Amino acid sequence: MTSREDIARCVADQAADCGVELVASLPDNWMAEVIRTFERDDRFRHVPVNREESAVGLCSGAFLSGTGSLAVMGASGLMTLIYAITKINYTYEIPMTILATLRGAPGDKAKFHVSNGLYFLPSLDAISLTYKVIDSADKITEIGRLYDHARTVSRPTVAILTRDVLRGEA
Amino acid sequence: MAIPYRAAFQFLANQWADELVVTSAGNSSQMWWDVTRDADRVFYLDASMSLSTLLASGVAYGVPQAKVWAFMGDGAFAMNPGMLMVERDLNLPNFTHVLLSNRVYGGTSDLDLPNKPINDYVGMAKSMGLERIWSFETLSQLEGDFDAAFRGNAEGHRFVVLELDPFTPDDHAIEEPPMDGPEIKFRFGRYIEKVYGARVFTGQF
Repeated sequence: MTSREDIARCVADQAADCGVELVASLPDNWMAEVIRTFERDDRFRHVPVNREESAVGLCSGAFLSGTGSLAVMGASGLMTLIYAITKINYTYEIPMTILATLRGAPGDKAKFHVSNGLYFLPSLDAISLTYKVIDSADKITEIGRLYDHARTVSRPTVAILTRDVLRGEA
Repeated sequence: MAIPYRAAFQFLANQWADELVVTSAGNSSQMWWDVTRDADRVFYLDASMSLSTLLASGVAYGVPQAKVWAFMGDGAFAMNPGMLMVERDLNLPNFTHVLLSNRVYGGTSDLDLPNKPINDYVGMAKSMGLERIWSFETLSQLEGDFDAAFRGNAEGHRFVVLELDPFTPDDHAIEEPPMDGPEIKFRFGRYIEKVYGARVFTGQF
């Protein structure tokens, strides 16, 4: 058993190893410790954003300046990004990497995430958005592979973390 | 009072020195292309629905030695005015947000914005703590205070409101920038690599 703080540190270390410097976030409860960790870690400039689309703009611009970046959000936030991702990142072929939560999956007791359980992953599939579900702590290293893959394919990639991983229980 | 759209852009193009420029949907992309024909120092971000200034902020953050202008129509601004909270937090001294206020959705047949005659963009910016704000309703005002608004030694982010007329019928006939997305990305990114030494495409892994 590891703690939420340990998991958050692993995520931050992965991001730093990728060369991430700028982190744009809008919180999801499950992701709160990860966001606090980025905020406290001097290796990053953490920028809280007003909505998830703003993270797409900021991270896309950061790429054009040669600055590594990461967007952090919940599943609901990513669901609002279909237009921004397809319009900016697909049209201009700009890579970015997103950390999101797997809300609505079995174990999530929030009824307001039922829609995410039904439509979140199918929506990503519908726009051919590359993602991996990180459902155990030993898979956190996949964040680095997804980050590199975004640059290989000049498209966004998403690392989707489960509740149990973020709670240090998987 | 408002400035003819083309006159404002022609004036800005004449003053344009070494700034990187990010344009917004429809009107500003078309007009900046028409008056400059530049495709290296400009990222023509079409139809982003409010993300031009945040994309430009990302550029300005990563290349602090560059000066960056970003255009945004007030139609886009109305979709995401909270962007100013993020811009204020970043407070980048090399970044100028130019809000093009013509009170219509210029890229989509000049239909009216909601609350058209009342929207106070300067007031909105002040409410979010912005301090370096300019607003111009005539070309002579813009000419007179251009250096202060666009070129002075800023300590942080600038917000400039240009009250403009909507496009004329002749303006609507000008062409869109004739580049696909990847060409825009590579030309802009290669320019940044060449001039500022940033590693945008090289050394990614």
